[in-house]
Amino acid sequence: MNQVDHIALPAEPRVSLRLPAASRALPFLGIFLFLVVLGQAAIVVQARPQDLISGAHGMADILRRSFPPDFSKIGDTFEPALETLDIALFGTTAAVIMALPLAVLAARNTTPARPFYAAARGIIALCRAVPDLVWALLFVTAVGLGPFPGALAVSVHSVGMLGRLFSEVVEDMEMGTVEALTMSGASRLQVFSHAVVPSVLPSLLGIALYRLDENIRSSLVLGFVGAGGLGFQLLTAMNLFQYRTVSLLLLVTFVIVMLAERLSAALRAWIA
Amino acid sequence: MSAVAPGMIEAKGLVMRYPTGRLALDGATLTVAAGELVVVLGHNGSGKSTMLRCIAGLLRPTAGLVRVAGQELTRLSGRKLAEARMALGMIFQHGHLVRRRSVLANVLCGTLGRHRSVATSLGALPWSEAAFAAQCLDAVGLLRFARQRADTLSGGQAQRVAIARALAQRPHAVLADEPVASLDPEAAEEIMRLLRGLASRDGLPVVCVLHQPELARRYADRILGLRQGRMVFLEDAASITPGQVSALYEGQAA
Repeated sequence: MNQVDHIALPAEPRVSLRLPAASRALPFLGIFLFLVVLGQAAIVVQARPQDLISGAHGMADILRRSFPPDFSKIGDTFEPALETLDIALFGTTAAVIMALPLAVLAARNTTPARPFYAAARGIIALCRAVPDLVWALLFVTAVGLGPFPGALAVSVHSVGMLGRLFSEVVEDMEMGTVEALTMSGASRLQVFSHAVVPSVLPSLLGIALYRLDENIRSSLVLGFVGAGGLGFQLLTAMNLFQYRTVSLLLLVTFVIVMLAERLSAALRAWIA
Repeated sequence: MSAVAPGMIEAKGLVMRYPTGRLALDGATLTVAAGELVVVLGHNGSGKSTMLRCIAGLLRPTAGLVRVAGQELTRLSGRKLAEARMALGMIFQHGHLVRRRSVLANVLCGTLGRHRSVATSLGALPWSEAAFAAQCLDAVGLLRFARQRADTLSGGQAQRVAIARALAQRPHAVLADEPVASLDPEAAEEIMRLLRGLASRDGLPVVCVLHQPELARRYADRILGLRQGRMVFLEDAASITPGQVSALYEGQAA
């Protein structure tokens, strides 16, 4: 029976090593439940794959009318492109400035008191929970059309994400250096600038750069609700059925997003 | 080294009861003369780290007093305490260096207490002390690493830089909290030799919490044994018997 009898093993245990029947059935039950939920989703979204086939003509027509992109208008895209980039840059910078103090309050190891912690967490959650598109609609109503409401929307929504990630960085910070410098007789401000800042700065910069990259993409969409930039041009061209302009704008968008992503990744790699 | 001025560490009747009600330290008294190295031994939770942190002013004892170089630390708070801490160089279990800064910059951080200005509060280093910091680095034998980033060092080297940073404070006394707990035996010997030198050569009083009775016997002048917050013995290292030491750890097998 047992061929490895030159190894002295204890007697076989007398307990059943098989999982009980209920536990063995669990994975199958899980898969079945998932399929039920998925079927429900297909019904709710009114999935009709056949429409994709019957609509193929329409799509081919749009693609034909979009080609070639109207490069004669490339000069007109510079200003809206700059506007899109600037909305992201201004919005992200403002968000970083607002998120830093919030993060200190929202980190368990640095918050001065429980109420500050709760309030900061609340503000961060609110900023995150409301989508930037909704913030943009609110700000367009408040300050009128243009890039400024876009920048405001980007910054308020980013405060949520940045505040949360920044506070995590502060919470994960190694407190040893802080203690070591405190013991050397350094003042509180010196401890902050020589121990806290150098240990969290690379992570904070990395997160901010990542957010800038995300915000360039989201500021494109914000143009659709009247917040300026390439998105607004895209909406106008679509409404006028100028598909060759649309394809040019999409091409410019693609290049900007790609470049921003590459640049942000390269800078983050350099900082780390 | 002429930079360091010796003092004396006096701890009298230290009692520490944590807010949870646990009595971590129950009447510890220790006087360390200039040039003397005292090692504190005890199992985990015996109160040895608590005692060191009380002496360092990182914890405020429930009762008792701490005097370093004539200054009563237990009466101070805020800025006064920060300034008094300059007299105490403390070494932790890990080097606790600023990873991205150079080794020399890390040593310079030890001089911050003497250079309180707007610039140093905003992150500038007192580079006027660079030559002095280099001397401190040389004293631990790591001058050749001065320009290297701190996170490129080994654990033992980082610990030596931490000692250099403590020297840059121009301390009157040195405290070490399990300074060799995470080091290999060779690096541990090097750190103990440096601490021994701070006592014998520079005439500083040194208190060192250890987990290795064998290192304690070889490097300490006197050994203080703590068990459940109480002092069991405080004797010359040469006269301590192995039985006395193992009694500290009895019934504490984890």
